[in-house]
Amino acid sequence: MLKELFNILVFPGLLFLFIFGMAIEFVDRKLCARLQNRIGPPWYQPLADFIKLLGKEDVVPQESDVAVFKLGPVFALAAAATAFLYIPLWNKQALFSFSGDIIVVFYLLTIPTLVFFLGGWYSRSVFSMIGAVRTLTQFFAYEVPLFMCILSSSLLANTWSLSEMTVFYLAHPWCWLFTLPGFFIALIALLGKLEKVPFDIPEAETEIVAGAFTEYGGRFLAFLRTVLNMEMVVGSSLLAAVFLPFGFVHNAALSFMIFIAKILFITALIAVAHSVVARLRLNQMVSLCWRVFAPLAFLQVLISLVIKGFLVMR
Amino acid sequence: MAIIKKIINWGRIKSPWVLHFNTGACNACDIEIIASLTPRYDLERFGVLLKGTPRHADILLCSGPVTKQVECRLLRIYEQMAEPKFVIAVGSCASSGGVFGCCYNVEGGIDTVIPVSIYIPGCPVNPQALIDGLVKLLASLEGPSPCMKDSKARDDLPIGKP
Repeated sequence: MLKELFNILVFPGLLFLFIFGMAIEFVDRKLCARLQNRIGPPWYQPLADFIKLLGKEDVVPQESDVAVFKLGPVFALAAAATAFLYIPLWNKQALFSFSGDIIVVFYLLTIPTLVFFLGGWYSRSVFSMIGAVRTLTQFFAYEVPLFMCILSSSLLANTWSLSEMTVFYLAHPWCWLFTLPGFFIALIALLGKLEKVPFDIPEAETEIVAGAFTEYGGRFLAFLRTVLNMEMVVGSSLLAAVFLPFGFVHNAALSFMIFIAKILFITALIAVAHSVVARLRLNQMVSLCWRVFAPLAFLQVLISLVIKGFLVMR
Repeated sequence: MAIIKKIINWGRIKSPWVLHFNTGACNACDIEIIASLTPRYDLERFGVLLKGTPRHADILLCSGPVTKQVECRLLRIYEQMAEPKFVIAVGSCASSGGVFGCCYNVEGGIDTVIPVSIYIPGCPVNPQALIDGLVKLLASLEGPSPCMKDSKARDDLPIGKP
């Protein structure tokens, strides 16, 4: 009981996720700065931002729905942290798993997006409402390719549990090479989920000040930023567990290092995307996701089915 | 409690987020502000991020003399910022009204409307001067007497004036 509580709250759970999320934010910002030939922020920057935001005055708009405005960030934080527990990180077995946990992770990962929408909508500011609607519109676009790619991988493994998928890919090494196209599509869709460039349409600061976060400040903004960092870690560990299932060795420390390396690799790809691409318009983003990425994801499902047929015949 | 205050003060010094507001400048100071945020001068070294909304910002960078039209907007943006907040008057016009000080449509410098923490002279300001002013403001937070105007004294401010 005590060990499980420690696992949930401290080590692979909440506190580790919090610190790791900050580290990933730093790596993202620093890499971006270096790619733009800048020096970039010091290593403690995300921590300083968090502490400063905690120390600031909380402003709650008079027109807003106070309960949704205040509780939303906490719900989003809880959902993102819970999703992390079901993903196999450096062990073959996730902390908790049951058959069908992949669906639970999907559900939990949509809650932060929904909170961004509700928080923006109930702020009752024009800019935050536009941002909220954009969040939801974008959500309907990237969700299909992202889930289709991850499900194509689970189709190949013939299971709905993330931990069992890892076990399958360890038993059939190099099978994950056939889902690599799916990895890149899912990575691009993940950029939409994390609201990163080129899909930072909901918080486009040059058009609609800060989108759904316009009215948030102080503690609530600190929580929302933490949620975004955590989502980045959870999303990239989900991709790493599904599409890069290798490196689960017996040595725990080495296994942990390989996990960190995978996450850093995905973060680096995101940072490169941030510095080389410009923001798309919402209609461009939606048509790109539905006309290009969704058919490609279907193709990935087809490839998985064919490979699965070969595996069964053998 | 003292240590918590110290930690929060450390965070405040290391993470100043700025909001840029043109109160009627000729755009020269605005270009210099943007220049100091871009790779050549890279203000992100000090943790500075340019924010779009007053709710996120700690420092209001005002450029230009306050025209009669922009006065109530400036007040509104100042009121929307969360405490603790600082105001930097960027450029000669923002500091005193400059050459536009006596115009029929100009109220004067920024400090005729809202309390100002730091004045940076120059027409337009150099990015180096801007960075120097910002660092001086942050350094003053460490000492006993920060350049922090008591914004509770804003009862004297002409709030609600059209």
